[in-house]
Amino acid sequence: MLKPFLRKWPFLFKFRLFLGLIFFILILFFLYLKVIPFGNITYSRDYVLDLRSGKGFIYGFTPSERIDLKSGDGPRMIGDPIYFSLFTPRTFDKAKLTITYRDNLGLDTSVIESGVLADNIVWRYELKPIDNKALDYLMLRWHKSEGNGYLFLQRNEDYSSPAEWEKDLAQGELKACADGLEKCLAVYNFSPNYNYQITNYQPSVPLVLDKPLRGSHQFFVYLKNETLHLEFSLVDLNQDLKPAPIDIILSSGDKIITRQALADANPQPGSGKTEEKRVILEQKDLPAGVYKVEVKITNDMVIKKIVSSVDHLSFINKVWPVSNEGPLTIYTDANYLQAKALNPASLQTLKFAGRDFKLDEAYKQFYFKTDSLAKDKEIKLVKDDIVLENNGVFAWSSSSLFNPTLPKVDRFFSVNNKFNYIIADYKKPIEEEGVKTATAEFNLKGIYRENGKYSFIISVPGLKTEDGTDDNLEIYKIKIELEGRTLWQKIWH
Amino acid sequence: MAKNLALISRELFYFSSALLLAFIILEIIWPNIILSYLNLNYLFVFAVLTGSIYLIKK
Repeated sequence: MLKPFLRKWPFLFKFRLFLGLIFFILILFFLYLKVIPFGNITYSRDYVLDLRSGKGFIYGFTPSERIDLKSGDGPRMIGDPIYFSLFTPRTFDKAKLTITYRDNLGLDTSVIESGVLADNIVWRYELKPIDNKALDYLMLRWHKSEGNGYLFLQRNEDYSSPAEWEKDLAQGELKACADGLEKCLAVYNFSPNYNYQITNYQPSVPLVLDKPLRGSHQFFVYLKNETLHLEFSLVDLNQDLKPAPIDIILSSGDKIITRQALADANPQPGSGKTEEKRVILEQKDLPAGVYKVEVKITNDMVIKKIVSSVDHLSFINKVWPVSNEGPLTIYTDANYLQAKALNPASLQTLKFAGRDFKLDEAYKQFYFKTDSLAKDKEIKLVKDDIVLENNGVFAWSSSSLFNPTLPKVDRFFSVNNKFNYIIADYKKPIEEEGVKTATAEFNLKGIYRENGKYSFIISVPGLKTEDGTDDNLEIYKIKIELEGRTLWQKIWH
Repeated sequence: MAKNLALISRELFYFSSALLLAFIILEIIWPNIILSYLNLNYLFVFAVLTGSIYLIKK
């Protein structure tokens, strides 16, 4: 019945109807891809084929000097770290990153991690493991148990189950750990439930740190039956045009106890006129233990002075002293030091654990290593304005220095170390004919997103372009599975 | 034959031009929504090609 009716339609009408239908289908199709009503979508980029009809969603790697696009089938990462961004037409809650790669790395670059930029003020990436060769090696040789969301390795079979081990850990009495937990337990991407205590702790005397520090810093404080009182004097340098908000967070484990935030109206952007600000953080009746204080500020701000009621205060992983004064002594517990001078006037020969190390190029990251067995290593700077970083802590006096974190299975970890237990949240990559595939999951809720893009990092700590070796990480494919709220959830909730 | 080709190319030219305009508007409203999937240069070339065929065969 319909056929004779359609036959009467002129060809031009039928052709226009057909093209009109295609037009609306295409528009609806792209609107569907914009809204993603079911909340799930996968974006991928194959670097070997790299056939694309559009720009794609996963953008190229930067910076270009750390990527070799010519030598391999896929781009080769030759320096650490590299970045890429992911464009998404809407926000998502979770991302599962799958990376296919060939690992042409040496033993001193045993860790591969990937992360997403969580905070653009302090430039903090939420890192997740991709590959850890020390763990891969020990998984084949030690007693391995998986479950409870983590991997548990023990040198000897002291415990029949991770639950039994956890019970002893909560009581602080692990078998074969006579010298203390930090000598027998190493962790990776996992924070076990344990309470750090300083034996023979003496009540604190107030501490004044009047050595200015530039940019964000984090530090641990230890207290016992004391009130925590911290006074911060901060200076906004107003050298850039951006506002300089202050956010000071006191936390214990993953729990935020209190925070003090100070917005910046930015009345004099780029003027170079300094503005002084003061923030006080006080918390009473805190149980004995370790607390973390995070001072989140931009690099356009300086922490001029910290007055603390407690004297056990150690900066975590990084310090950037900027007093512009004469010699300065800092203490650290780590055996290596990364140093970068951001000012040619700061180039010098510094002393680390008694040895001289030359810092002779500005903006270049220098790596200094010591075999010193001393607990605290001295860093002597002739002048400051140098960014000092490592995997340990820093303090202005050796009496303030303490490190409550357990040793990590990082690139400095040796499988010959005398640890008896390792606990990690880690999955070994799948390997097929030398090509590895690993996955990492990220929580994207509240994650920084600019111009519709999430920023990702791939990190191989210790991989350097200028070391003369051909160590590299050849990347073949990146796939990102995204999960978010459905359209109905967005409308009704 | 030449008349049909002119007709079809004219209709395809209208279609691709309208589609190009719609995509550009969508792209202005939501940047990258189209360009991530499709390079609009291809569609532009197609519109120019069909337009040229129409002008030649007209």
